[in-house]
Amino acid sequence: MLLKLAWRNIFRNKRRSLITVSSIIFAVLFAVFMRSLQYGAYGNMLKNIVSSYMGYVQIHSKGFWEEKTLDNSFSLSEIEQLKKQEGISYLSPRIEGFALVSFSETSKPVAILGVDPALEKEHIKLDQKVVEGNYFSDTKKGLLIGKGVKEIMKLSIGDTLVFLGQGYQGSMASGAYPIVGVIDLKTPELNKRTVVMTLEQAQELFALPDRVTTAVVGLYHDDWQDAQQETVAAIDTNMLEVMNWQEMLPELRQLISIDRAGGTFVLLILYSIITFSLFGTVLMLTEERSFEYGVLIAIGMEKNKVIIVAVLETIIMAIAGVVAGLFVAFPFVLYFNINPINLSGQMQEVVERFGFEALIPTSLDPSIATTHAGIIFVIVLVVNIYTLQKIKNLNPIKAMRK
Amino acid sequence: MIQASNIHKTYNDGKVKVHALRGIDVEIKEGEFTAIVGPSGSGKTTLLNIVGGLDTPTLGEVHISDTNIAQLSENELIDFRLNHIGFVFQSYNLIPVLTAKENVEFLMLLQKRDEEERNERTTKLLKAVGLEDQINKKPNEMSGGQQQRVAVARALASKPDFVLADEPTANLDSKSTANLLDIMLRLNEEENITFVFSTHDQRVIDRAKRVITVEDGKILSDETR
Ligand SMILES: Nc1ncnc2c1ncn2[C@@H]1O[C@H](COP(=O)(O)OP(=O)(O)O)[C@@H](O)[C@H]1O
Ligand SMILES: [Mg+2]
Repeated sequence: MLLKLAWRNIFRNKRRSLITVSSIIFAVLFAVFMRSLQYGAYGNMLKNIVSSYMGYVQIHSKGFWEEKTLDNSFSLSEIEQLKKQEGISYLSPRIEGFALVSFSETSKPVAILGVDPALEKEHIKLDQKVVEGNYFSDTKKGLLIGKGVKEIMKLSIGDTLVFLGQGYQGSMASGAYPIVGVIDLKTPELNKRTVVMTLEQAQELFALPDRVTTAVVGLYHDDWQDAQQETVAAIDTNMLEVMNWQEMLPELRQLISIDRAGGTFVLLILYSIITFSLFGTVLMLTEERSFEYGVLIAIGMEKNKVIIVAVLETIIMAIAGVVAGLFVAFPFVLYFNINPINLSGQMQEVVERFGFEALIPTSLDPSIATTHAGIIFVIVLVVNIYTLQKIKNLNPIKAMRK
Repeated sequence: MIQASNIHKTYNDGKVKVHALRGIDVEIKEGEFTAIVGPSGSGKTTLLNIVGGLDTPTLGEVHISDTNIAQLSENELIDFRLNHIGFVFQSYNLIPVLTAKENVEFLMLLQKRDEEERNERTTKLLKAVGLEDQINKKPNEMSGGQQQRVAVARALASKPDFVLADEPTANLDSKSTANLLDIMLRLNEEENITFVFSTHDQRVIDRAKRVITVEDGKILSDETR
């Protein structure tokens, strides 16, 4: 009977119920959308790290990050055992070096990246960054040059570049390789100075047999903290250093944490607004209905039962509002996941400087929706404590005097 | 029986003290058909509220059916009202979302009476107030007079010792007033239901069997016809 009363009360005054339910819908929509956008931005940046050259975690010879010379290199056999670790899916060996590259009259210093073609294709999809020519193949060893390098030096596929630089332990690095493809690394900075070759070629060029400067640690999950610990535990840290993306890109880390704090702050404000507006609604509704509550108590309905009816009404409306809110939020979030918001201005510059796309797709993580729907549900219940308190202290005579 | 002795009620309305009742002694027995009469502001509502256990006197004692209601806790008092007193108010008595039938049934549900008894009694009462063909109407689909008749039926549903009605006809036209009075009087005579009601309508006063006149919170006269 109490449920029947609650149910009918909701449908009796449709305007009142609609106000309540729509304020909940709006709250859910806003919180979920905002959070999805924020987590999406954050997640996209991190995803970009993985699909860029960094990876979440890298191993170097100790001191390499401070002084990027080929002398700070290590042998792959030193980290062989890591492949057996549970959270680690692969190790991508690389050589990062520098050299002067010349073609006919022009020459230019470039950053050389020696990679394992198969691994980089599989894990970071380097082949998809080729915009002209081909990716490495067994028959086509050679160079992938950044789009910018091509433009500056006026190169075309098939041209042979001559390299001159310093090799391992003071040796002379020299070699000549043909261009097989042009890659677009999405940022002008990188495009202007990157030349990619196979690991073997780089080892040959720099006279660095069997050695690498960097190993990217590939993870099964995005849980890079665990992976870093696992890595540290499994290798000789007197010889090697293990760095995560936050250590390698402190600026990016800062950017993300500022963004997160800002997001939390905005969310806090949002929730205050939601709480106050819901409270306002509840205040109004309780005032409107105190006469009715007064009659019920006067004729002999215990306050607890009146309270149960009020709570049932609230719960039903909260569920309706939250569920409807999620239904409304879903297409929004989905739309902006498929059509990411394009950053502009300063944000765009900062983000692109790190080599990431200036796009924010919303996150589709369902836990965002459930968390915030849950929080709002709880807020609705908490705000209704006012009604319960009001009923508890209700003097039926005063309530009925109007 | 209701016994109220030396009842005083003072309202502290902000800084002004209102002496709504100033020493009232009254006794109401089963089977009475009593009107409490007096001009507006004389204390009728206050008196009815106090003898009905809705309000507590500032001074004095109220015994309803041998219970000193001052000794009941808040919840006990609500239950006491449920089981001993039927109320009819001036207007907006009914639960708006329930039909006539459900309104009448409501108190019996609170009393946890079984379904058979509820149905039987609801039908009987709605018939007694002449609304057997309106049982599925919601309050807003009925006239003021019909609503007050449902309210009387509801007040009787819990089998109370007394039915207290505060100006039950104040918002009714003369035809509905007469009709409601007919019904109340018949219930009083045929079923020995006790009615105590306040009014300042002379046509209503004329039909009461006992008239208690209050003025300025005191009983001016008390005559049984
Ligand atoms: N809750 C209250 N607070 C303050 N004054 C009240 C309250 N209830 C009644 N009064 C005052 O008490 C007096 C008696 O009121 P009431 O019992 O309602 O009279 P009646 O029903 O005869 O019109 C009036 O002066 C009224 O203003
Ligand atoms: Mg009155």
